[in-house]
Amino acid sequence: MIRCASLSLTLSHRPVLHELSWDLAAGSVWGIIGPPASGKSVLVKTLCGLFTPQRGTLHVDGVEMTRLPEPARVDVRRKMGMLFQNNALFDFLRVWENVAFPLARQDPELSREELAARAGERLRAVGLAGSEEKWPSELSGGMKKRVGIARATICNAPVLIYDEPTAGLDPVTTSKIYDLLTDLRTRHASTVIAISSDIPALRRFVENVLFLHQGRVLYRGPEAGLEACEDPVVYQFIRGLGEGPL
Amino acid sequence: MAGRVATSFGNLFAAVGAPVLALCAEVGGILTLLFRVLWCLVPPRFDLDETWRNLHKMGVKSVPIIVLTAFFTGGIMVIQAAVFVKKFGATSLVGWGAGYAVFREVGPMLLGLMFSGRVGSNNTAELGTMVVTEQIDGLRALSIDPVRYLLVPRVLSMIVMLFLLTILGDVVAILGAALFGTVLADVSLASFWVSFSQNVHVADVVHGLIKAAVFGFIVALTSCHFGITVKGGAVGVGRAVNNAVVAAALGIVLSDYLLTYALP
Repeated sequence: MIRCASLSLTLSHRPVLHELSWDLAAGSVWGIIGPPASGKSVLVKTLCGLFTPQRGTLHVDGVEMTRLPEPARVDVRRKMGMLFQNNALFDFLRVWENVAFPLARQDPELSREELAARAGERLRAVGLAGSEEKWPSELSGGMKKRVGIARATICNAPVLIYDEPTAGLDPVTTSKIYDLLTDLRTRHASTVIAISSDIPALRRFVENVLFLHQGRVLYRGPEAGLEACEDPVVYQFIRGLGEGPL
Repeated sequence: MAGRVATSFGNLFAAVGAPVLALCAEVGGILTLLFRVLWCLVPPRFDLDETWRNLHKMGVKSVPIIVLTAFFTGGIMVIQAAVFVKKFGATSLVGWGAGYAVFREVGPMLLGLMFSGRVGSNNTAELGTMVVTEQIDGLRALSIDPVRYLLVPRVLSMIVMLFLLTILGDVVAILGAALFGTVLADVSLASFWVSFSQNVHVADVVHGLIKAAVFGFIVALTSCHFGITVKGGAVGVGRAVNNAVVAAALGIVLSDYLLTYALP
């Protein structure tokens, strides 16, 4: 579904991704973990075509993204739904309009009533029935995440990317969010990529893990194999040890 | 010795060169934005709903502050002139003086600066916050060009609204001048009107309105450029607003100087 080969990206004269190679099969569930500023968010934004790597290739569903001009990326982006770290809810739109926004762009023929109905249905699925007419500023952190998830998933895109879906949330809400993501994933058989600092919760959700440190891959493989990884950075990070190279 | 002199020159070049390069980068960014906005306008490719929303937000909501500013601007002109009007008995010049100054210079300039403070700074802060909270990335991830969707409607709205608000402001300023002239300089309304209508020409109004449209364009470009290029979170947004207001004020004063020479 997605194939990166030797991707390298430099931003503001600072190398962010370094010779990164990664294959994601359709329907697989990946977690990206790593210390802060290791390039996790930049990597997923690169997958969406928001950054253009200086070297390497990126194929999404067989289409090479890195050389595609901006207008030609539309079709590839339609295959992806993304929850941003800061939710990225448009604060000039009401909750239902936010959720319906990608749908309206994908299918301009849909009437306002149809869009509202579809958005309402998706909001009910994420447990936010009755919040349709609210503004994003009226929502709590957990509610914003849910709206972000509703927006990311409303088009039933084959690839779903969640950047910190549970950041700043309490354990109960975190658990509910992961239940929701699992449910959505099961129903639509999507390829899922999730970034989270809540390692235990993320590991329960994903099948495979990519460990990034300073833009380099230190581990790539099944979640169960992470414990056996002998890299000192990975060892320290997943066990939360105070002493080590980090 | 020679090495130390070379180092000193190097430091001097660096000290002078860095701000010059930064200025060139900002000017280049504004010109690039100008080109991208024009590209979206020919043929017109922008969001009408967003344009309508901005026209309301930037124009209708600015009416009270513009009316207040314009009314007292007209008043101030007469207060300043009242001493000499009484001294020389030049009551027949008050209407002309107020109209000429308000239409050609004071109206567009003060309203432009007020518009920059109210609408331009708000626009920069809003766009900057959208950058910081990844809303711009969110639009791009949905293959929506932020320039076409967000910036073009704002640029159009600011030009149109500053133009219309200047017409309103001019009328209110003249009313303010007439009222203050009656109260403070013993100039009757009839005398004010005769002086105004006989000496102020359509060209004076057009002169000011052309300036208003140009000022609106300058406020729009600077506020959008600094908003969309924000870096560094909340501190970056504050810095961008500051830069946008300074750049707009500078742009208004410089273009006013040039337009005053160029226009009839």
